[in-house]
Parts: sequence; structure tokens; C-alpha cells
Amino acid sequence: MRALLLFLLFACGALGLRAENHVSWEITPTVCGPGQPFRLQVRIESDDVLGPANQVGKEIRPPRGMALRFSGQVFRANATEAVLNFSGVAPEEEGAYVLPAFNARFPAQMVKVPDITLTVSAKTGYRKEGRARAELALPVRTFYVGEKIAGSVVMRGSEQETVTGTFGLECEAEGFNFQTEGSSYTQPLPDGHGLTKPFELTPIRAGQSELNLSGIMLVNTGDRISSLNAAGRDRPFNFRRRLTVEHVPETGRPADWCGSIGKLEATPPDVSNRFPEVGEPIQLKLTLVGEGNLERIVPPEIPGSDVWDVAPLSEKRQRRGEDRRTFVYTLLPRVPGELKTPAVRFSTFDPEKKAFESVEFIPVNVKVSGNAPAKVELVSIDPSAKVGAPTAKAVTGLLAPQVSAGAKGVAKIEPLAASKPFWLSNTALLAGVLLSAAVVGVVGYLAAHPEVLVRRRARQAVRRARRDSAAALRQQDAAAYARAVTDGLRAGAAALLGAEPRALTQGDILRVLPSADADLLAEVFLAADGERYGAKDVRRSVEDDARLQAMLNTLEAQL
Amino acid sequence: MNRLLRLTILLLAGAVVPLLAGDGEAAYARGDYVGALEAWTAQARRDGVTADLLAALGNAEWKLGHKGRAMVCWERALLLDPRDPVALAGVRHAQGSGGTDRPTQTWSENYAGLLGADFWLILAALGFWGTLLTLLLPRLRRQAPGEWNQRILVTSATLFAFCIPGLYGAYTLANRAVVRRPDVAVKLTPTVLGETVNGTAEGDVLRTGRSFHGHTYVTSADGKGGWVKSTELEPIWGGGLPANLDQKQAP
Repeated sequence: MRALLLFLLFACGALGLRAENHVSWEITPTVCGPGQPFRLQVRIESDDVLGPANQVGKEIRPPRGMALRFSGQVFRANATEAVLNFSGVAPEEEGAYVLPAFNARFPAQMVKVPDITLTVSAKTGYRKEGRARAELALPVRTFYVGEKIAGSVVMRGSEQETVTGTFGLECEAEGFNFQTEGSSYTQPLPDGHGLTKPFELTPIRAGQSELNLSGIMLVNTGDRISSLNAAGRDRPFNFRRRLTVEHVPETGRPADWCGSIGKLEATPPDVSNRFPEVGEPIQLKLTLVGEGNLERIVPPEIPGSDVWDVAPLSEKRQRRGEDRRTFVYTLLPRVPGELKTPAVRFSTFDPEKKAFESVEFIPVNVKVSGNAPAKVELVSIDPSAKVGAPTAKAVTGLLAPQVSAGAKGVAKIEPLAASKPFWLSNTALLAGVLLSAAVVGVVGYLAAHPEVLVRRRARQAVRRARRDSAAALRQQDAAAYARAVTDGLRAGAAALLGAEPRALTQGDILRVLPSADADLLAEVFLAADGERYGAKDVRRSVEDDARLQAMLNTLEAQL
Repeated sequence: MNRLLRLTILLLAGAVVPLLAGDGEAAYARGDYVGALEAWTAQARRDGVTADLLAALGNAEWKLGHKGRAMVCWERALLLDPRDPVALAGVRHAQGSGGTDRPTQTWSENYAGLLGADFWLILAALGFWGTLLTLLLPRLRRQAPGEWNQRILVTSATLFAFCIPGLYGAYTLANRAVVRRPDVAVKLTPTVLGETVNGTAEGDVLRTGRSFHGHTYVTSADGKGGWVKSTELEPIWGGGLPANLDQKQAP
């Protein structure tokens, strides 16, 4: 049992061990000159059988300016090692360039290839003259959404290295449509030492984006043909360029602009028959030529008129890249005589001048024979209308417009009801009028009822007297206490009796407060007024504070 | 000398302006509707829009096949002048041979169309203030209302009462919009994937209600309601020249 457990432990340990991979690489030449082709060989040794690698080039992200392509793998069946070959062209600037780590995927496992550094130095003595090279021909300007940008990759050769072909042109750019005429379509250069690979770019959204164009050109060096040779026949190229794309400006955009961008010209119109009869269809062919997004133009419409009937537009399809587009209109003359075909005009946007230009197809003279059809007046009668009743004159068709000259109009038709100043001024006026009406009403009421103010003042005087009496009580000033109480009683009683407060005596107070203690009133009035006349012992009034305060309260309640 | 120069400039300007103003009409007369449209649009941008200018623009747009823009121009011309003959003829032509739908106007809208929304509001304001002031002023002055005061009160109160249907009609007239896109779906719900319950075409005039979630509730000429994307409509009120919806976007 113990032996079995040990065996299982060792077996699990053996399963946990991973196969060791050893990755090495070699660049030839070790130090490259600017723009010099080089060969990269990555050797992978493993404990397991490797087999062929899949999609090695997909994960590689070469640094800016460097072109690098996977050119093949040398492997043997059931071998535990693999050799991956790459060919590339060094950047134009000196320095150390790091090719980021990438994964090489084999059927049984994935092997990580570490960072690889390429040193570029001008001291290597490498000269670019005489070697085949690729150049990107693309206008340097702002591009516009929907525009057809014609570009090309110019592959120049020399006596020593001739360019024989190209393949694998790829474009990575967000916001662009990329199209070529096919992988094999190339044009030779005029001097015979090279090829041109044309392509078309169409921006589909505005903004900044980077164009990344890569491909391989086939170079014949005259040596033995081998993909493993540093000066070998397939040589990659890579271009990166930052492009700015905008929308066609809306300012100044004419009403008849129909999506056309480029330099276009109208050719003389072609009429199928210059001597038709009335009602005989003729074809009017309008051909646009020039550089531009011809296939994206919305065909201009020709509305029918009193002279011409216009059938729906047909179009003569052109081969792609033919730089021309033909619109075919079918016209039917409605009246005889010397007629002119309708003028067709539309605007195009010139991206280089950044301005709209008008393109016009001139009218063509046509002589129409035959007779005009009889004019038929359509009569519409309401069957339910009374006999002899006058029928309303129906307005049919459009009236000829008459625009008065120099009349000033409005920039925006907005109702007065949407005007904030109108409602604010009316609301302020309404508030002011209502406020003033309320003030006048209150003042008038008070003027008609003066007792309101008199009693209000009396209440205030009674309260003031109560406060004064309380203060005098705290100071044990009996005379001041008596004066405060009598002042309060006088003020309250005067408002009820309609008299002057200072003229009232304790007898008048008893008329207002019949239940009051007459003796107490006499004593407090004596204490208040009698001090001036030599009265003695005024302290008794202070002792009856509660009864006096009750009198004041009763008086205030009556006010 | 300076004065003479100014007079010369004024004379030249006076001679040139009518010529410029007639460019659009001349182009329209010879069938160059694009030229007419450009001339009138330039005039509208320079001097602002008037009823006859909008009506003329509507004609040119209609001739070019822009039904939505034409209807917007004609409807706005009728807002400025409810009796503009060119705009009236254009709307009737669009409804008749053009196939566009337009809600039948209620009696209050016809009543509002007699004077125009702004005029109704001004009259209503005058009536309101006349009534209020004739009621308040004698009280403020503490005088008994005189005979003239009574007459003004009755007149202004009557004026205000007559304005109420006009204001209501102008309000319902203002809540209309023109369909600016061809074949617009009227949906059951204000959602992108809402079920289509009806269809409407470019140039149709719809009554509009509340807006929600980028959609506007509309009622068509035959009384069917539903939701339409707000970007596919252009309100009749609140603009000058038609909005640039029909301008083809860069492909």
C-alpha cells in the first residue's frame, strides 16, 4: 500500500513538470544600416514534438518604421525543434528597436518568443542606392468623408535589383475603406525599373486615424533565389501615416450638392435623336469625367415640365476605375418646335481648393415635329351640388411667385407667445397693478375705520405700561410703578372712551372697568399723581400688583 | 465732392437692389429652380424671411421634388400671412396632385387664421388690460365708474372674450409639424423597435403632442395617433428657412 502511494506521488509530480522550451534568435546582419534588409531567424527547441507553427505573423507588432514578415518555417516531422524565418527592412532612423514578445503557436503547445532587439547604425557602411525600395504616394492634405483617395505604392528597382512583382498588400486603418484592383494588378514604372501598385482609400468617418499599409515586393537580385537569403527575393514594406478626415463643410454647401467630391467635368451631352416627333422618346446621355467619387454621386433629377416628360433615370454602369459615369435620361417632347433639352446642374466639392464648384451639362437643341395633343380640361363637378349653384373656383397648380424687393423680414418665425419679455413685462405690470390696488384698499379701510389704529396704539401702550411696571417692581420704586400702571389704565380707557389719556381720572377708569376695586384705583392714582403733592406711603400699590395687572389684562382684552 | 460720391453710391445701390431681387423670379420663370432657390435663399439670409419669399421658396423646392421643405416653407408663409395666395395655392396643390396629407382645420383654427397668432395675442392683451384697468381705476381713484368707463369695460371684455377661441386655435395650429423624411413609420411606442402602426410620407402635416425618448406623439390627418422620431419632423413654428435635414450627408 505504501509503495502504491509513493508511486502515485511520483506520477503526479511527473505530470506537474512542464516541458522545457529553449528559444534563441539571430539577426543577420547583427547591426543593420538604415533601411537595410535583414533576416531574423528564431530557433525553438522543446522536449515535445513541435510540428508546424500556425499564424506566426499575426501577433507580431514591429516597431514604427520597421517592416517585418514571416517568410517560412523549416521543420522536420516528429522533430522537437523549429526554425522560424522572418525577413524585414530596418527603420530609417538610427537606434535600438525592440520587437515585442510574441507567441508562436504549435499544434501541441504555445511558445513565447521574448523581446528581440535590432540595432540600426549608420556606421555599417550600408548604402541604399542601387537597392530596391518602396515608397508611398499619397497626397498630404485634409481628406473628406466619402472622398475617393487615389494612392499607390511605388516600388523602385535598379540595375542590381529589379522588382518583379508584389503581393499581400494589407491596410490597417480605422475609418477607411481600402480597395485595390486585385492582387496581381500592377503597372510598370516609365523607366522600367519598378512597379506601381495603385489602391483607393475612402474615409467613412471624420477624425484622426493612422494608416498602416504593409506588403511584400518580389525582388530579383540576380543571386540564387532563396527566401533565407538576406538579399532574397521577398522584401516587405510598411508605411504608417497619420491622416486627418473632416466632413464636407456645411457652410456654403449649395442645395444641388449631391455628394460629389473631386474634380469633375461635364462632357457635351449626347442625344439619341435630334429630330424626334411629339411623344417619341429620346435618350439624353450625360457623362461625367474626372477624378472623384463618381460612384457615390446621387444622380441629379430632371423634373418634368410643360415641354418635356421625363421618364425615371437609368444608368450606364461603368467598369470600376474608369473615371467616368454616365446618366441616361429618357425624354418625351410634349410640344413641337425648336426645343432645348433641360439643363442639368449640380455642385461638386474640390478637396484641394476646399470650395464648391458647379458642373453643368449644357442644353442641346432638338427639333420636334408633329402636332401637340389636344388640351383637355378636366372638369370636376360635385354631383350633390344644387343645380345652378355657383361652383367654387378650385386653385390648381402653383402660382407664379412675386417677391417684393427690399422688404425686411424676420430671421426666425417665433410666436409672440414664446417671447419671454412679453410675458415678463405683462406679469410685472399685473403684479404692480394688483399690489397698488391692494395698498389703496387697505389705506382706504383704515381711513374709514380710525378706531382700528387707535385701539392698536392703546394695546401697545398697555403692554408698554405692563413692562414698565414690572421693571419698577423689580427696583422697588413704588412711585414709578404707580405711574406706569396709571399710564396703562389711562391709555386703554381713553381708546374705549374716545378721550385724551392724560385727562382721565380713576372715575373714568371705573366706567370702563365697573368691576374694578375703586379704593385700589384711588390709591394707585394717588400714589402716581399725589407724589407731586406730598402724598405719603405709596408702597401699598406695589403690594397689590396682582390685582392691578389683572385690571390691565382686562382692559387690553377689551381693546 | 464727398456728398456727391455718397449720392452716386446710393443711386447705384438703388439700381442694383431690384435687379438682385428679381434674379430668383427670372430664374424660376426660365425653369432654373436651383438658381431661383439659391437667389431666394441668399435674399432670405440677408434680409430675413417674409411671407412671399417663403412662398416662392416653397414653389422652387416643390419643383425640385423636395416636398418636405416645400411644405415647411408654405406653412411658415401662412403663419406670417394667412392669406398669402402663392402659399395657399401651393398647399392646395400639394394636397391635391401632390398627395400630401394635412389635418382638416377646426373652426377655432380657421378663426385663428383670420388674423394670425401674434395679432390675436396682442388683441387679447389689450382686452385684458382694458378690462382690468377699467375695473380697478375707479376704485383706485375712489370715484364711481363713469359712463365712458362702462363703455370701455364692456368693449374690452368683449374683445377679450372674442380672442379666446383665436388664441386656442393659434395654439393648436402651432402644434403641427411637417414630415421631412420619405416613408416615415408611425410607431405604437416611442422606441426604436416599436411596432409600426401607420405610415406617413414626406411633406405630410401632422399634429404633434408631447415628446418622449427622442420621439414625438403625432396625430395624422385621418386621426390616427402614434410616435415618430423627432428628427424626422420639423415644427412649423420656430424657424426661418427649412432645417438642413434634406441636405445629403457626406456618403
